[in-house]
Amino acid sequence: MVLVAIIIGCLIGVLVGSVLPIIPYTISGYLAISIIAALDSVFGGITSSLKGNFDLKIFVSGFFINAILSILLTYLGEKLNIDIYLAAIVVFVGRMFNNLGFIRRYYIEKWTKKNKKQEETQQ
Amino acid sequence: MNKKMQVAITLGFMCFLLTLGIVLQVNTVNKATETVGQARAENGLRDQVLKWKEKYDVTYENLTKAEKQLESLRQSAVQNDENAKDMEKSLSEANILLGITEVTGNGITINLEDGKDLIHQEDLIMIVNELKNAGAEAISINNQRMISTSFISCDGNVILIDGNKIGTPFTVLAIGNPEMLYGAINRNGGFIKYLQDYGIKAEVKKTENIKIPKYNGIIDSKYMKIAE
Repeated sequence: MVLVAIIIGCLIGVLVGSVLPIIPYTISGYLAISIIAALDSVFGGITSSLKGNFDLKIFVSGFFINAILSILLTYLGEKLNIDIYLAAIVVFVGRMFNNLGFIRRYYIEKWTKKNKKQEETQQ
Repeated sequence: MNKKMQVAITLGFMCFLLTLGIVLQVNTVNKATETVGQARAENGLRDQVLKWKEKYDVTYENLTKAEKQLESLRQSAVQNDENAKDMEKSLSEANILLGITEVTGNGITINLEDGKDLIHQEDLIMIVNELKNAGAEAISINNQRMISTSFISCDGNVILIDGNKIGTPFTVLAIGNPEMLYGAINRNGGFIKYLQDYGIKAEVKKTENIKIPKYNGIIDSKYMKIAE
């Protein structure tokens, strides 16, 4: 059910996005950083659900507030003439790699355990 | 079931937003790379302007030095030659009349500032004209020397003198007979009174030992020749 909702959401997003007109170039910088922030929250959500401490409220609030905060920081950086968005990208992408690493290890461990069990039963 | 439904809808909506954002961004970036990132181009231009300005300043300083050197060389070259001395004298007199030497003398200072009404280029033209009429020998506005070919024009919210931008407040310096200049400019029904009536802050005073800078541009002639 959840999976179906996610797939439907993605499909509608692609359709609507390709129909909508393009946004001004200055705003696209803000959109880019908010996309990175949102992606970071998604991977964080997957990790926490694998760990078993997934909380929808934390996930949703992280998704939106991180995106908005990163936009505000980018705006501040533009006013101060310093590329703050670079710091945001480093943090978000770094965390994304951490979470991806956790997810990878989780599934590899699961897979090796399964293999071992199969060997034991065969013996 | 209801709870699960809620979760599904929330996650679905978030995925919708995320993919919507990604697709929008990809489209925009594709379009923008076609037309060149504007912000980056502007930054590059600003850098270039600043660099050229710096180069200009350095070169101008060198030019001033070289001119001074030339002047002293000329002086020493003509020291012992009576004929050359006369030539040198007439040359420097001609230079003074052309406006390519710094000059000093008594005259008047006019300070103009925007008040209820703004100062337009016609006002400056009128003032310069009145000063010339009263026998001013050298005139400058905000350190821009007026010479025989000088023009005053309007460029949005600034005024151009020979293409150089100047803005309010304006200081007009004129060398000449102080009494004559003062009387001509400040008379009842004169142009300064007219400006003051229109709400422009204008002030005229006689000044001793005014220094008026030399003309910075190039004086060139292409079409005129000495008549036979």
